[in-house]
Amino acid sequence: MRRFRLLLRLALRNVRRQARRSILTAAAIVVSLILLVFSRSLADGAHEKWIASGVQLGSGHLVLQSPAFQTRRAIAEHLQGADLRAVDSALRDPALAARVTAVTHRIEVAALASSPASALPVAVIGVDPAQEAAFSGMDRRLVEGRYLAAGDRLHAYVGEALARRLRLQLGDRLVLTAQALDSSITEQLVRVAGTFRTGMPEVDQGLVYVPLGTAREWLGLGDGVTSVAVLLRDSWGTDRAVARARTLMADRADRVAALSWREAMPELDAAIRIDDYGDYVFHLILFLIVALAIVNTVLMSVLSRTREFGVVRALGLRKGDSALLVTLETMLLTLVAGVAGVMLGLGLTWLFFRHGLDFTRFMGDQMTAAGGIIDPVFVPQFRGAQVVQSFLFVVAIGFLASLYPAFRATRIDITEAMKFEG
Amino acid sequence: MTTTTQPAVRTAGVWKIFEHDGIAVEAVRGVSLRIDRGEFVVLAGPSGSGKTTLLNLVGGLTRPTRGRVWIDEQDITDLPERRLAQLRLERLGFVFQAYNLLPVLTALENAEFSLLLRGVPEAERRRAVTELFTKIGIDGLEDRRPGKLSGGQQQRVAVARAVVGEPALVLADEPTANLDSASSGALLDVMVRLNQELGTTFVFATHDTDLMARARRLIRLVDGAIASDVRQ
Repeated sequence: MRRFRLLLRLALRNVRRQARRSILTAAAIVVSLILLVFSRSLADGAHEKWIASGVQLGSGHLVLQSPAFQTRRAIAEHLQGADLRAVDSALRDPALAARVTAVTHRIEVAALASSPASALPVAVIGVDPAQEAAFSGMDRRLVEGRYLAAGDRLHAYVGEALARRLRLQLGDRLVLTAQALDSSITEQLVRVAGTFRTGMPEVDQGLVYVPLGTAREWLGLGDGVTSVAVLLRDSWGTDRAVARARTLMADRADRVAALSWREAMPELDAAIRIDDYGDYVFHLILFLIVALAIVNTVLMSVLSRTREFGVVRALGLRKGDSALLVTLETMLLTLVAGVAGVMLGLGLTWLFFRHGLDFTRFMGDQMTAAGGIIDPVFVPQFRGAQVVQSFLFVVAIGFLASLYPAFRATRIDITEAMKFEG
Repeated sequence: MTTTTQPAVRTAGVWKIFEHDGIAVEAVRGVSLRIDRGEFVVLAGPSGSGKTTLLNLVGGLTRPTRGRVWIDEQDITDLPERRLAQLRLERLGFVFQAYNLLPVLTALENAEFSLLLRGVPEAERRRAVTELFTKIGIDGLEDRRPGKLSGGQQQRVAVARAVVGEPALVLADEPTANLDSASSGALLDVMVRLNQELGTTFVFATHDTDLMARARRLIRLVDGAIASDVRQ
C-alpha cells in the first residue's frame, strides 16, 4: 500500500510537472467527451421521440397478446375471459403500474374496405376511443369531421389518404369485409365520422379505426381483444416492465405473451440499432484518434524520462511498478479530463441545445422510417447510464492507451538508461 | 572504522561481453574479487577499462556473461528480476555521476525513497533522513526540490539516499565528476565519515585522483581485467 501511495504521489507530480503535455492530452479527451456526450444525448433524444411515435401508432412499449398473434396476425389468436382479466389485473401491479402511462385494448384485423368507387386492402383496428386517444393521440391527428366517441357504433375514423383513394366524404358509407372468428367471411357497414393524418403513408393510406364493440360484434369475438398495448414513461424502462409482466403472467405463458416493442416492431428496432451502430463507428474513430494522442504523449513522456525510470529501477522499484506508474499517470489524466469532459459536455449541451437542434432545413417537416416519425427537431436527453457509459468508455480508452507505454517502461535497461541524456 | 572479514561482495571469474554491430566487446574479463564489509574501495582505470561495467555487475544492474556474483554471500547471478530488485532495495545503495534525483520529489522525499519502498513507517523515515542530513551538512534543505539545490547539495542528497537504508554496499560511479573541487572534497569528507562512523562499505568507480588518494584499497583495471589491487 505504501508502495502504491508512493507511485501515486510520483504519478500526480509527474502529471503536474509536464503541465503543457498533460493539458494538451487532457484537452483532447475533454473535447472528445464533449462531442460524445452531446452526440449521445442528441441521438438518445431523437431515438426516444422516434420510438415514442412508433410505439404509439404500433405495439406500445409493451404488448400483451396471444403468443402466436405476433406471427399469424389472425383473430383466432386473441385474448379473452380469464386471460384478459389476468392481463388487466397484471397492469394494476404497483411495480408495473408505476411505469405505465396509457393502456389500450385493440382488435386488429386485415380487411377489405369497399366504397362505391373502389375496394382496397386495409388494417382495421377496433378501439375504445378514450383509451386510444390517450394512448396514440389519434384524436389530435384529425383532418376533417370528428374522432370516434363513446357510444359510437357504426362509425369509422379513416386515414385521409385512404378516404381520398376510396373517394369517401364525411358520412359516406364504407363496407369492411374480413374473416370472422368462425372463419366465415363477414361484412360490416360503417360511416366515415372523420379522417386523420399521421404523416406515415402506410398508416394514412391503409388504416381504419372502428369502435371496439363494433369490431367484437362484427368478428364474433365476444369480450376478446387481439392485443393489450401498454405505453411506458419512456423506452428505457421497457426491459424491466416486460420482465415484470412476464413474471406476473408466468402461469399463463402458453396463452399470454408479453413482448417488448423491440420484439413486436423488429423493423423499428433494427432501424434504431443501425443508427446507433453508425454513431458507434463515429465514436470509435474519434476515440481511436484520442487513444493515439494519449499513446503518443505518454510514450514521449516515458522515453524522455528513460533515465528516471532507470534510477528508480536501480533503487529497487520493480518492472511492474514502472508499468503501474505509467498507467497511474495516464489514468489520473484520463479521470480528471473525463470528469471535466462529462461536466462540460452536459453543461454545454444543456446551455446551447436544451431546446433542441432544428434539422428542418435538411429533413423537411418530418421524416418517417420503420413505422416511426423522425422529428427534425432533435432535443437532447440526458441519461445517467449514458453519462456513466461515456465516462467509463474514456477511462477504458485511457487504460488501453497506457498499456504500450507501460510495457515500454518495463523494457528500459537500467545501465543503458543511465547513459540517457534526455 | 569497523572492518569485518565477512564479504560484502564477491565475484568469481566474471566476464561481461557486449555485442556491438556483431562485434563482441569484452568489457570485463574474468574478474575475481572480494570486498569485505566496511571497506572503502576505489576501482580506477582509464575510460573503457570496465570500471562502470564491473560496478553494474556487482550492483545487479546487469548480468554477467560468465562467472558468478555474490552480495552478502547470496549468489545473485541468476536471481529472478523481481528478487534482484528487492535485493537492490534492501542491500545496495547507488550514487550516480549525474546525481539522478527525482525532480518531482523534495530532497527529503528523494532521500527516504528506498525506506518508503521498504515500508518503513513515516516517523522512522523522517528521523533517519533528518539525522543523516544533519550529519552530512544539508539540514534545512529537506523541502527543496533538486532544481533548487546546487550540484554538491544534490550529490549529498544522493549519498543520503544511498546510505539511509544502511545497505551492505554503496556503489558510486564517478560521484565527484560533476562537482568543483571544493564540493568534491566536502562530499568525500562526508563519505569517509559515513564509512568510519556507520561502517558503510563504499565501492567507487572514478578518475578522481583525490578520491583515489583517500581510498584504503585501490583496484586498477586495464582492458576489463584487474591490473593491480593495492591496500594503502
